[in-house]
Amino acid sequence: MSGPPDLGLRPSRGSGLDRGRGGGTRSTDVLVVALLAVVAARFLLPGAFDAPALRAWATVFVAVCLQALPFLVLGVGLSAAIGTLVPPSFFARALPRRPALAVPVAGAAGLVLPGCECASVPVAGSLVRRGVTPAAALAFLLSAPAVNPVVLVATAVAFPGDPEMVLARFLASMAVAVTMGWLWSAFGRGEWLRMPARSVHEAGGHRAAAFLGAVQHDLVHAGGYLVVGGLTAATLNVVVPREWLDAVAAEPVLAVLVLAALAVVLAICSEADAFVAAGLTSFSLTARLVFLVVGPAVDVKLIALQAGTFGSRFAVRFAPVTLVVAIAAGSLVGWWLL
Amino acid sequence: MSRLAQHLLLVLLGGVTLRVSLSEAYLAYVQAGFRPLLVAAGAVVLAVGLLGLVRDRPGRDAGPGQAHEHGGPRVAWLLLAPVAVLLVVAPGPLGAFTAQRQTAPVSAPPPGDVPLGIGPDDPGESWRTMTLAGYSVRTQQSDTAPLRDRRIRLVGFLSPRDGGGWYVTRIRIACCAADALAVRVVLEGPDADELLAGRSADDWVEVVGTYAPSREHPTLGYPEPVLDPDAVATVPAPVDGYED
Repeated sequence: MSGPPDLGLRPSRGSGLDRGRGGGTRSTDVLVVALLAVVAARFLLPGAFDAPALRAWATVFVAVCLQALPFLVLGVGLSAAIGTLVPPSFFARALPRRPALAVPVAGAAGLVLPGCECASVPVAGSLVRRGVTPAAALAFLLSAPAVNPVVLVATAVAFPGDPEMVLARFLASMAVAVTMGWLWSAFGRGEWLRMPARSVHEAGGHRAAAFLGAVQHDLVHAGGYLVVGGLTAATLNVVVPREWLDAVAAEPVLAVLVLAALAVVLAICSEADAFVAAGLTSFSLTARLVFLVVGPAVDVKLIALQAGTFGSRFAVRFAPVTLVVAIAAGSLVGWWLL
Repeated sequence: MSRLAQHLLLVLLGGVTLRVSLSEAYLAYVQAGFRPLLVAAGAVVLAVGLLGLVRDRPGRDAGPGQAHEHGGPRVAWLLLAPVAVLLVVAPGPLGAFTAQRQTAPVSAPPPGDVPLGIGPDDPGESWRTMTLAGYSVRTQQSDTAPLRDRRIRLVGFLSPRDGGGWYVTRIRIACCAADALAVRVVLEGPDADELLAGRSADDWVEVVGTYAPSREHPTLGYPEPVLDPDAVATVPAPVDGYED
């Protein structure tokens, strides 16, 4: 099993002991000590957390976590259901055999999953585990959060004066998903994918037990990475001055690049990002389209989730290429339609 | 991380999520309509943790399907962070700090717009209560006649204006507090200094006043809506501090 990237936040040194039978006592002890510290801080340091910047940071951090949690639970449940209830042969039969055809079919399948990106990462992971060709699973991973009905309706609501925005978003996001799927089938290497070992439901226990085990495993795993994304988004939210953004809105090319970067660092749920984009009124429609295309495909929270699900070797290759493809697709479609 | 610690973490996370979403506290973080999803998610997480604790309780035979040797990832420890922040800091709604950072110009209505009216006065009062966003939009219309000769009541918290003076302010969230945007109305007029003396940032107030022409933002130059106050009173912070 590949370890997650070192986050510099390791509560117990030598936590290699966490695995193995002796780990039970050890990590539970750490948990109890951490909780005692929390309780102690609550009562011994009242007022230590009253700085306005810290409180704003904490509010945004908690908000990102709470906002994403229901979608994460939904995605983890779907993923576990696919993993335990759907026979492995199903997808092999349902999808065209040739990756070149399977990619667009899987991309179109993204139209029907009403979840945000937190949900699609674990689902795509379970598709790969079920034997779906990674290129098709990745096309699904990129299209599901970007073009599902909830997101398209939200976009229409957020841009009442610009209905072509919905079509532009759909076309650009679908182009990104299919392009990335084809790129993976042409250049991707299986060794970049390091799926975390999952011995629980391979072992042939009861279905309910296997389902519960899969849900628990994915919840603590993807949940941990979601927290990484929440920490990043909250920190940038409180640190980057907004005036910088307003100053660049006037430059067309710079505006596109800056909104792409903003989409990466803000890590807003794809069901909410249209409302944020609608609020960025000083930017051109094309720049805002790029924001909507990049956000569901690559952001700090997603990169963290992908690193957790597919391994960090995958994430460091996939995320930058996706970013470039998404900026190009958004700019082209915006130039054509908007 | 052992399975026991994972179960306990999920119980904590689910319990804290349920606590926040069943009280009014969740309104500081997400939209009111999001509550059912939060309650459901908290309940599921709590149930998964509790079921795990029951299945793995001491003395129970590990079945063939149970892989006790399989530990959880270290990154799972971070799930303790939202639990700890909610228990220790229990952060409230965003306020003046965010208002100074997250602002945008009021979007100007398209040319040739039909001016929106503001409706009749509140029942039994000599003023009309408006949302800050509703007032701001109407100040940018090509025709501000609907606002003239009317007394308008706004409710919000105070945030400082660059170069002195105050805004009455509300935060709007589209989805969650991460996408917060402030709506601010400059409080300026002959009586403003006297009415606002001794107040500080994040104080909740109701302001009654009349329309005045927009002023330029001190540094960025875009027009900012202005209300000329004739009465300012302290009010308690509303349960849901964000404006829809």
